[in-house]
Amino acid sequence: MSAPLLELRRLTKSFGGARALRGVDFDLRAGEVHALLGENGAGKSTLIRIITGAHRPDGGTVAVDGRPAGPLDPRGAHQLGIACIYQQPALFPDLSIAENLALRLETGGSLRRVDWPARHRRATALLERVGARLDPHREVRDLSMPEQQLVEIACALGAGARIVVMDEPTAALTQAEQTRLHGVVRELRAQGTGVIYITHRLEEIFVLADRVTVLRDGESVGTRPAADLTEPELIRLMVGREVAQPYPPAERPPGGAVLRLRRLGRRDSGVHDVSLDLHAGEILGLAGLVGAGRTELARILFGLTPADAGTIELLGRTVRPRSPREAVEMGLAYVPEDRRRHGVILDLPLAHNASLASHRRLFPGGWLRPAAERRFTEDFIRDLGIRGGGPFAPAGSLSGGNQQKVALARWLATGPRVLILDEPTQGVDIGAKAEIHRLVRRLAGEGLAVLLISSDLPEVIGMSDRIGVMRGGTLTAVLPRDATPDTVMAAALGRATEAAR
Amino acid sequence: MLTPSAMPRPALRHETVLLAVVLLEWLCFHALGPRFGTLENSFDLLRHSAEIGLLALAMTPVILTGGIDLSVGSLLGLCAVLYGKLWRDAGLDPGAAAGCTLALGALAGGLNAALIAGLRLPPLIVTLGTYSLFRGLAEAITRGADTFTNFPASFLFLGQERWLGLPSQAWLFAAVAAAVWLLVHRTTFGRACRAHGFAPEGARHAGLPAGRQLAAVYMLSGLIAALAAVIYTARLGQARADAGTGYELLAITAVVLGGTSIFGGRGTVHGTLLGVAALAILNNGLVHARQPREVAGLLTGALLLLALAAGTAPRLGTAWRARRAPHPSPS
Ligand SMILES: Nc1ncnc2c1ncn2[C@@H]1O[C@H](COP(=O)(O)OP(=O)(O)OP(=O)(O)O)[C@@H](O)[C@H]1O
Ligand SMILES: [Mg+2]
Repeated sequence: MSAPLLELRRLTKSFGGARALRGVDFDLRAGEVHALLGENGAGKSTLIRIITGAHRPDGGTVAVDGRPAGPLDPRGAHQLGIACIYQQPALFPDLSIAENLALRLETGGSLRRVDWPARHRRATALLERVGARLDPHREVRDLSMPEQQLVEIACALGAGARIVVMDEPTAALTQAEQTRLHGVVRELRAQGTGVIYITHRLEEIFVLADRVTVLRDGESVGTRPAADLTEPELIRLMVGREVAQPYPPAERPPGGAVLRLRRLGRRDSGVHDVSLDLHAGEILGLAGLVGAGRTELARILFGLTPADAGTIELLGRTVRPRSPREAVEMGLAYVPEDRRRHGVILDLPLAHNASLASHRRLFPGGWLRPAAERRFTEDFIRDLGIRGGGPFAPAGSLSGGNQQKVALARWLATGPRVLILDEPTQGVDIGAKAEIHRLVRRLAGEGLAVLLISSDLPEVIGMSDRIGVMRGGTLTAVLPRDATPDTVMAAALGRATEAAR
Repeated sequence: MLTPSAMPRPALRHETVLLAVVLLEWLCFHALGPRFGTLENSFDLLRHSAEIGLLALAMTPVILTGGIDLSVGSLLGLCAVLYGKLWRDAGLDPGAAAGCTLALGALAGGLNAALIAGLRLPPLIVTLGTYSLFRGLAEAITRGADTFTNFPASFLFLGQERWLGLPSQAWLFAAVAAAVWLLVHRTTFGRACRAHGFAPEGARHAGLPAGRQLAAVYMLSGLIAALAAVIYTARLGQARADAGTGYELLAITAVVLGGTSIFGGRGTVHGTLLGVAALAILNNGLVHARQPREVAGLLTGALLLLALAAGTAPRLGTAWRARRAPHPSPS
C-alpha cells in the first residue's frame, strides 16, 4: 500500500504546565473517514490545530504523502491541501457570505477586478452542495451558529482540499442538516479525500466512519475499524468505564402551568403566534430545522429581543421582559446557543464566569467573597466534571465542551423557575452529557420548568415529556413523549403535520 | 488580576516591571539632581500629581468598561470656575461651595452617562463633544478673562499646607485611591465592569445591568474631576477657565502605562497608581536635572510605547517565529 496521506508520530504539546498531547500517533489514508473521539479536553482540537498549523507541536513529526512536513504553519498547511472546519466558525462577521468564501478561495493579486456575479454564483453553488439555503449577500454576523458552520463547510469544499478536518461539524446541526452533511462527507471520500471527523454523537460513527481513533487524556488508546466496534465498547474506550443508561425517566407527573404563551411573536425575528403552556417539573423539548425560530423564541422570552405581539404569563402574572436583567429577576434563565459569544466571557476566569449571573445571591451587599466563590466553583467543577486549568484559568483556555459546562453552571446557580436550554450539550462528551441530563431531570423533579431546544434528536426525544415542533417561526405541533424520530422529523419538515396533530 | 491562576503567565507582571521603572527613575534623578531626593521635593511631587492622579483613578473603571472619558480635563476647568463663582459671587463659604461643585461635577458626568448609557452613543464621540462643551461653558462664565483669586487661608490649606505631616491633598488622594481600588477589585460592580469591557454582549446575556453600570462610572468620573478641580484651585490659589487643559490625555497615558487595556476588561488600580508615579517622577526629575520641557514629552512618549511593546513582545515573538517557520523542511 502507498504511504498514508497524513501521518503523525509521537506528537506532544503542552500549554504551560498542562499536557494536552503526550505522544500521539495518528494516520489518515486517502478516501477514508477517520473519526477522532475522546472526552472533553482529551486533546482532539489540539491535535487538529497542529495539523492545520495553528499550534506548533513541542515534539513529534508530521508527514504528508510520506514526506516529512516540518512544523506546519497555516499557509503551508493550506498549500498542502489541508482544510479545516473548526469547532468555532472563524468567519469575518462584517463581510457577506460570498466575500468570506472569496477570501479563502480566490487567488490572485489584491488589485484585480472583482467579478461579483461569478463570486455570488460560486457561493450559491457551494452553499447548495451543503444544503444551506442562504443568500450569499447576507452578512455573517446575522447568521446563526449552525448557518455559519455550513458556510465553513462550503469553504472547505470549495478549496478542493485533499485532507479535510471537521471538528464537531454537527454539534449544532439538526438531523436533516446532519444527514445532508453526511452525504457531502461521503462524496468527499469517494473522490479520494481523507476526512478527519470529530464528533460527540456516537451514532454518527457507525454510519460514517471507516476507522476510529480514541484519545484519552492526551494519549491515543488505539485505532480500530469502525465496523469492529459497538457503542458500549466505544464508550468504554473513551471514558474508561460504563456510562449509565442515557436518559433518566421523569420521577413524577408535571404540576401546574408556570409559563403560558399566547400568540407570542416579534415581527423582525420572524416568530409569530406561538401559544404554549409549560408546566412545573416538565421538560418540553423544542425540535425543528435550523432557522425554524427556536432560538428566536428563546431570545424573546429572555428579553434579548422583546416581544411585540402576544402575551407571556409567568407564575400567573403577565410579564414582558425587556432585557435579560428583567428576565433574570423574574426567574428565567437562558443558556444561549453561541457559547463563545454569549455563553461565556472567554477572557474571564472560569470562576468569575460561573458566578456572573448570581452576584446578588453569592455576594450580598456587592462585596466579592473569594472564599465563597472558590467553594462554589470547586463544587460545580466536581459536579460537572470540568477539566482544564482550575477555577482561575480563563474560560477561553478550556476545551469546547468544558466551556459549555461553565455556561450551564452559570445558570443552574441562579436557581431559576424556568430554564431555557439552547443546545445545552453541544460539544459535550458522552459521560458529561449523561451527567447534564441527570442534573436537568433532577432539577425538573424539584419543580423547575425546562424548555429544551436541541438539534440532537435522540436527546430531545429521550429527555422531553412533550415535544414541540417549530416550523417557519411558529409552533406547528406538540407531540407526546413517545414520539419517534420519524414523526418528529416529519413534523419539522412540514409533512404529515395533520396526522401528528 | 489578583487571583492566582493556573495559566502560564508572562515571567514578569506588568506592575512589577513598572515598579522597577519607577524605582530606577527615582535612583537616576537622585543621582542627577541634588535637590530631587529631598523631603520638600517629594511633597512637591505629591502635590503636583494629585490632580492628574485623581483623574487617572476615575479613568480606570471607565477604560475597564471599554470606554473613555475625554471630558475630564475640561470638566476640571469648568468646576474650578464654578467653584470660584459659588464662593465669590454666590457668597457661599468655601466648604459649601466645594460641596456644590462636587454635585455639579457629578451632574456633568451624568450628562455623559445619559448619552452613553441611555442613548447608547459611543463614549469617544460623546466625551469629545462634552470636552468642547465644558471648556466652552467655563470660558463663557468667565468671559475668557475673569480669574478668581484671594481665597481664604482656610481653603488654601487644602492645597498648600501639611496635615499630619503630609501635604493635605495627599490624604484625600489616598482615600479616593483606596475607594476606587476596593470598587474595582473587591466588588461585584468592578467585576461587572470588566465583564462588560471584555464582551458587552456576553455581559448582557449574563443579565448584567450594562446601563446602570456605565452611568455609574461616568458619573463617578465627573465627581472625581470636580474634586480634582477643588484641589487644583486650592493649590494654585486661583481658578481660571483654562485650568486642567490637556489633563485628560495625561490621565489616559497614566492608565495605559499602568497596564490597563484600552480595549477594556484588563487592568488594575495599583497599575494606574504606578503609571501616575512614573510620569510624575519623570517630569519633576527632568526639571531638577535641568532638562528642557520638551524632553519630558519625548521621554513620556517613549516610556508609553516601550511599556506597550513590552506587553505584547512575547506574543509578537511567537507570531513571528510561526510565520518564519521553514516549510516544508526535511528533518
Ligand atoms: N490555548 C490554550 N491554553 C491553555 N490550555 C489549553 C489551550 N488549548 C487547549 N488547552 C488545554 O488542552 C487540553 C486539550 O484541549 P482540546 O481543546 O484539545 O480538547 P478537545 O479534545 O478538543 O475537547 P472538546 O471535546 O471539549 O472540544 C484541555 O485540557 C485544555 O484546557
Ligand atoms: Mg475540541
